[in-house]
Amino acid sequence: MRKLLSVVLAFSMFASLTACSGSTGSTGSATSAAATTAASGGAETEAAAESEAAEEGLYDVTEPISIVWWHALEDQYTDLVNEVVDGFNSSQDLITVEAQYIGAYADVNEALVAANAAGAGLPAVVVANTDYVASYGESGLFENLDPYIEATGYDVEDFSSGLLLSAQYSGKQVSLPFLHSTQVIYYNKGLADENGITIPTSIEDFDAFIEAGAKATGNYGLAVPGWDQWYFETLYLNEGVDIITDDNTCDLDSDTALGVTNMIKGWCDSGLAYLAYGTDASATMRQRFYDGEVFAVMHTSSLYNTYVDKCDFEVGMAWYPAASTGDMYSEVGGCVLGIPSKNDQATKNAAWVFLQYLCGKEVNMKWAEGTGYLPTRNSVLTTEEGEAFLEAKPAFQCIFDNLNLINPRIQNGAWSELATTWKNYMDTMINQGGDVASGSADMVEEINEILEDHA
Amino acid sequence: MSKTTTADAAAERAAGKAKGPFFTEKKKSQFIDFLFVLPALLLLAVFTYYPVAKLVHISLTDWNLLNTEWNFVGLKNWKWLFTGTGAKYLWNSLKVTFLYSMGELFATIVGGMIFALLFKRMTKGFGAMRAIVFIPKYVAMSSCAVVFLWILNTDHGVLNYLLGLAGLPAVDWLNQKSTALLSVLITTSWRVYGYGMMIYLSAMMGISQQYYEAASLDGASKTEQFFKITLPLLSPTTLFLLVTTFLSSMKVFQSVDIMTSGGPSRATEVFVYLIYRYAMVDFRMDRAATSAVMFFIILLTITVATMRVSNGSVNYDS
Repeated sequence: MRKLLSVVLAFSMFASLTACSGSTGSTGSATSAAATTAASGGAETEAAAESEAAEEGLYDVTEPISIVWWHALEDQYTDLVNEVVDGFNSSQDLITVEAQYIGAYADVNEALVAANAAGAGLPAVVVANTDYVASYGESGLFENLDPYIEATGYDVEDFSSGLLLSAQYSGKQVSLPFLHSTQVIYYNKGLADENGITIPTSIEDFDAFIEAGAKATGNYGLAVPGWDQWYFETLYLNEGVDIITDDNTCDLDSDTALGVTNMIKGWCDSGLAYLAYGTDASATMRQRFYDGEVFAVMHTSSLYNTYVDKCDFEVGMAWYPAASTGDMYSEVGGCVLGIPSKNDQATKNAAWVFLQYLCGKEVNMKWAEGTGYLPTRNSVLTTEEGEAFLEAKPAFQCIFDNLNLINPRIQNGAWSELATTWKNYMDTMINQGGDVASGSADMVEEINEILEDHA
Repeated sequence: MSKTTTADAAAERAAGKAKGPFFTEKKKSQFIDFLFVLPALLLLAVFTYYPVAKLVHISLTDWNLLNTEWNFVGLKNWKWLFTGTGAKYLWNSLKVTFLYSMGELFATIVGGMIFALLFKRMTKGFGAMRAIVFIPKYVAMSSCAVVFLWILNTDHGVLNYLLGLAGLPAVDWLNQKSTALLSVLITTSWRVYGYGMMIYLSAMMGISQQYYEAASLDGASKTEQFFKITLPLLSPTTLFLLVTTFLSSMKVFQSVDIMTSGGPSRATEVFVYLIYRYAMVDFRMDRAATSAVMFFIILLTITVATMRVSNGSVNYDS
């Protein structure tokens, strides 16, 4: 009996381990012919698709089809989402879209990657934080949209160039700009006016701004979001830190980088500011601002409507101050729209029709008006519609004035791992009493290992 | 003569054995027995042993969850786990997991025992109180964690409000390295006291009253009776709680995921959360699989060791 049992178990072990004998392989889900064919990661598939792009009708929707759109637009946007999706469905004979709220960008990412690995349950269209474009483009998770754009003559030139670049990977348009935002500083305008606090235009004046803000609230002058490195990475980039250098190493332990980290730590150690990190960090930071406990917060422009609605004081919005180098760039935030490449062609065709609609000029204005996201179209920004938008939301003037300073994100397949490591070390160095020099050295050693492993 | 006869008989038996049917009655019976357990065995093989073998397989590749292609990389991931940055996080998560397990064991065994002694009386009132203590066990961990997020909230939590009434400063329970793990343990403890209590109570009911009567006649105090009779006779129950709680606590994930996401500064990054992070945040299935195999080996070793050590010191006399 024992022998038989041993044989069965040994066989199951052997069956699995024999797979190790090959030097390369693929995941189970991808071994199916359909999945392999559908996956556009391979150069052959891509080349074939591109060469066929010109073929008329290849991307047409010919049969009735229902598709799913995964998004991250929270409860307050439900009516707007329904309005947009209903508008599309009523305009179509063949395509029916069902919008599904999945959660925050990280939740969408997790669900998408899991569905992609399983090769089942993929949405036809999905939003992705600009952070993920490189990963999805590099791995072939997102369909290359160039052949679709070419075949249907879709005008992508109308998108702001920075935004369009944010949706590309290695020169391929793997997604389209959808809801975009950038980093701004929200401040309590009432308190600022009352106390004569002026908005700093350079980092040298920022200390005084924070100090005056802290004095005005009797609490914090500034909250720096630490749960997402996007909010503070601009401070480093503008000072000249590359984060990932040309030789694929990290320079977050350079003297310049240490200077920025020490600057943030200095604000926090003096009690004038705090790094919002950990459980409920975002909600807590916002609540403290609404309650007047924090004078200013660094946050995303997409939450402008929320801040204005929740605060019983006038909310001011300002551009990040210029670095000591004079640079005052920001980075694009928000999300793009993509089509998972493992979908069948009929689904991808329907998805492309819906994607064009979602990113279209009219719908784009609806998003911009109903949320705090920016209009992404040049034809909107530079026309009367843009002026009307500014009239309704004058605080956005600071963004419109600096649109050409909004850069695409750093695109590297290892970015997600790098970002997680960076955020954790920032918390350790700033909130948990860690040492900046040794912490940065450890962090860079770890990040370099990640970059090397990913090269 | 007799020697020859004996040798002949042995040779005949051997020949008969060699020529006899392959399926003797005994073997047939064994085979039928095997067929009965085969379905269970197949399920085990498919859902338990195969995944373990597959994990070993993945640990020898460079599979990134985003990619459909992978390469065989030999022991690279294992080297990373023991000598690269993986080692740092491996030891950290082992330390955190062990601390958490000790905390949960303490709450279950010591807390459960105390509550069992407090609520031992079999009256309606005590029955209601036992139910109140036991009910949290049936509250879903996710719901429980969300409720405790509010209780432990720095600015608006009940706990800090009570501390404020006592003139004490607010504590950032979930975002400080020194208090984050304790906060998760408070949540866990709230759920497990009742379970430990119920298990101990049922075991206490099984101890013969004769021991206590005899001890009373000999003049033993209640304390002496507890330490000399109750505690030793509850040792099988304690072993059961020790092994089951330890193993389940080593696999803690939900409360950590909801309450702290392994932070701050990895202060609550238990082993299962570490595996989750590698797989679902970094997309490194290869590293997740390597860590998971390591975890499997650790759990197996601890379980075997626990059983061997404890078997000699458990009293089954009750």
